[in-house]
Formats: sequence, C-alpha cells, structure tokens
Amino acid sequence: MFKRSDESLIAKALNGDQRAWQQLVNRHQSALYYFGLRLLGSKEDASDLLQDVLMVLCRNLGQYRGDSSFKSWLFGIANYRAMDMLRRRKYSESDDSLAEMPADVAALPEQLASQQQQKQVQQQLRSLPLEQRLVLELKFYQQFTFDEIASQLAISSNTVKSRFYAALDKMRLQLENDHVEQSANF
Amino acid sequence: MSNNQQIFEDWLEGKITEQQCQQQLQYDPQWLARMDNARMLRADASAARFDVIPEFDSSAMFAKQWHRPKLQRSWWPQLSLALSCAAMLISLSPAQLHLQDGSLTLSWHNPQQDVDNAINAALSSYQQQQQQWLVQQLDYQQQNTSSQLVLLKDYLQDELKRDQRTDMLQLVEYLNQQRQADWQYWQQNYQPMQAGYRPADSYYVNPTNTGVVKP
Repeated sequence: MFKRSDESLIAKALNGDQRAWQQLVNRHQSALYYFGLRLLGSKEDASDLLQDVLMVLCRNLGQYRGDSSFKSWLFGIANYRAMDMLRRRKYSESDDSLAEMPADVAALPEQLASQQQQKQVQQQLRSLPLEQRLVLELKFYQQFTFDEIASQLAISSNTVKSRFYAALDKMRLQLENDHVEQSANF
Repeated sequence: MSNNQQIFEDWLEGKITEQQCQQQLQYDPQWLARMDNARMLRADASAARFDVIPEFDSSAMFAKQWHRPKLQRSWWPQLSLALSCAAMLISLSPAQLHLQDGSLTLSWHNPQQDVDNAINAALSSYQQQQQQWLVQQLDYQQQNTSSQLVLLKDYLQDELKRDQRTDMLQLVEYLNQQRQADWQYWQQNYQPMQAGYRPADSYYVNPTNTGVVKP
C-alpha cells in the first residue's frame, strides 16, 4: 500500500490535519518508547520521555526544515530530552524494565533463551557510561549512520566512533569478566 | 583509520557480508571481539519487543496546538464558475437548445453542414459581385467605344471636307489654267485671223481696259 512520506505528513499536519499527525505519531512512537525504555530503565520514565518528546515535536513541528531525515531530527530532540531527564533524575539502578520483561507470558524454551540473552545485553549496556550507551543505542537500535549520530549529538564523527569502539571494547571486557565469574561459580 | 576499522565499518554499513568481514578480521582478535559484540547488539535490536506502548491522547495535544477553525466555505463562487463553464461548453459545442411553444429541445447539428452552407453563401456572393463588376466593365467599354467612334466620325468628316476643298481648289486652278491656256492659244492663233474679218471698231479688235462692252 502507498505509504506517505514523513515530509508530506508534516505538511498536512501543519495545515491542521489531525489524521496526518496521528499517522506520524504512530509511525515513530514505538521507536521512541523503546529508546526511552532502554536508556532510562523504567516504563514510567520511557512514557514520560515519549510524551515529552511528542509535546516538543508538536510545538516545533513547523521548525523541521528537511535538512536531515525526520527520524534523525526527531531523535535529536529525544536525545536532548533523555539527557535532560537523566541529569534531573538520578538514574535508578534498579532494573525496572528488566524486571518487567514479559516473564509472565507463557514462554517457550527458545523465547526464554532469547529473553535471557536480551537481559544480558541490557545489563551490559547499562554498565556503560551514558554517552557510550547512547551511541550504541543510536547505531544499533535506531540504525543511524555515524554522521547522523554526530549531527544529533552535535559532536564530530570521530568522537562518535571513538565512543562507539570504546563501548564495544568495554562490553568485551565485561563479557570476559562474566565468563570468569561463571567459571568460578561452577 | 586502520584497514580493519574500514572493513568493520563496511560490514556495519552492509557493504560486505558477515563472512567476508569475519574472514578478513580473523587474525585480529580485538576486531573479532568487537564484531561479536556488534552482532550480539544487532540480534538484540532485531528481537521482538513485547512491551505495550502506553496510550495517551496525542490528538488532544495536537488539537490544542494546531487547531484551526474550519473555513466557512461559500459555494456561490464555485456554482457561478460551474454555470459559466457550462454556458461556454454549450455555446462552443454543436448542441443547441430550442425553446419553442413551451417545449425545450436539445439538438445536435452537423457542423460540416454549416461549413458547407457558409462556403456556398460566400461563393454565391462572390459570383454576384463578379457579375456586377463585369456588367459595369461592359458598360464602360461600350461608352468608351461609342465616344471613340464619334471622334473617328468627326475626324473622318473633317478630313473629307478638307480633301474636297483641296480637290475643288485644284479643279478651279486647273480650270483657270485651261482657260488661260485656251485664251493664249486663241490670241496666238485665232485673234489675228479674226481681226482681219472684223470691223475696226470691233470690241475684239480694241478691247478696253475698263471693261467689256459687249456688242
């Protein structure tokens, strides 16, 4: 089916078309919510971030000039708001989102293995510094290029890459430590 | 940027396959470990998420920010335009509306017939004009010819009179010359002989200068 571009939906929304706005929100809200969930760690915070970003988006919709993709522009806002929230709220180490993973769903062994792996990855991500975690989030989960990430975070592309590789190396060290701990437990 | 980094980034951007990347990085454990981590993160990113996205009324937010009262649209200009277009269409098309004796008739007439009629009318008008012009030309020609004939007649008459007069003059001159010649012949041949037979007081013997006194 023919899918309208983000730009045409924005143009319609700016003319007061509520359906276009709803389409635009439906298209991006899940990515924004999971972004918040992974970065902030709780559903409430993710929901707050989503509402906050959509409110900012609604107010500033007319300021989108089309210099970059709409998703990139939107995540520029989301990054800023998420950082702002993290600075204001002291990040809780309690792993709400992981605790709220759908363990209660009747799970098959494969799903359980997958959930276990997801949990492990999320734990490793949480142990990273915020800037590095943000770069990995934008690169792997939102699939932005290094240049787009640099543009969103207002830093150079080389800085993005150095944070990216530092994060990967840190994850490798953690994995090795985990293996050592597991071997020691056995 | 090192060669391995380039290979790794090519794989991230999908320019080379995972096997190619792994093969090229197989002697560098650091880059292989990075690749493993990246693969793990990719798998996690592509895994299904089960969390329900909380619903909230974003439409109300939008309505508050971007609500615009609906324009009061008047249909009169559109109706006027539509009727004008219809009128133009009817006037330009071969359709004809006839209102006769309270009945409205829509008819289509053949435009080719109209064209033929118009051509015929134009041709007949042209023919009449040409005929009138020919008649005028003939009249003018006749008048011109008759006036030239009159002139020719006058000229011929004048010439004839002149010739006649010349002839008469020549005749008179000839006659005078003959009379003169006769007179001279008479004087030379017959007068002396006649004088011998006439009395002395005869006029013919002594002609007077003052006139002839005939006997």
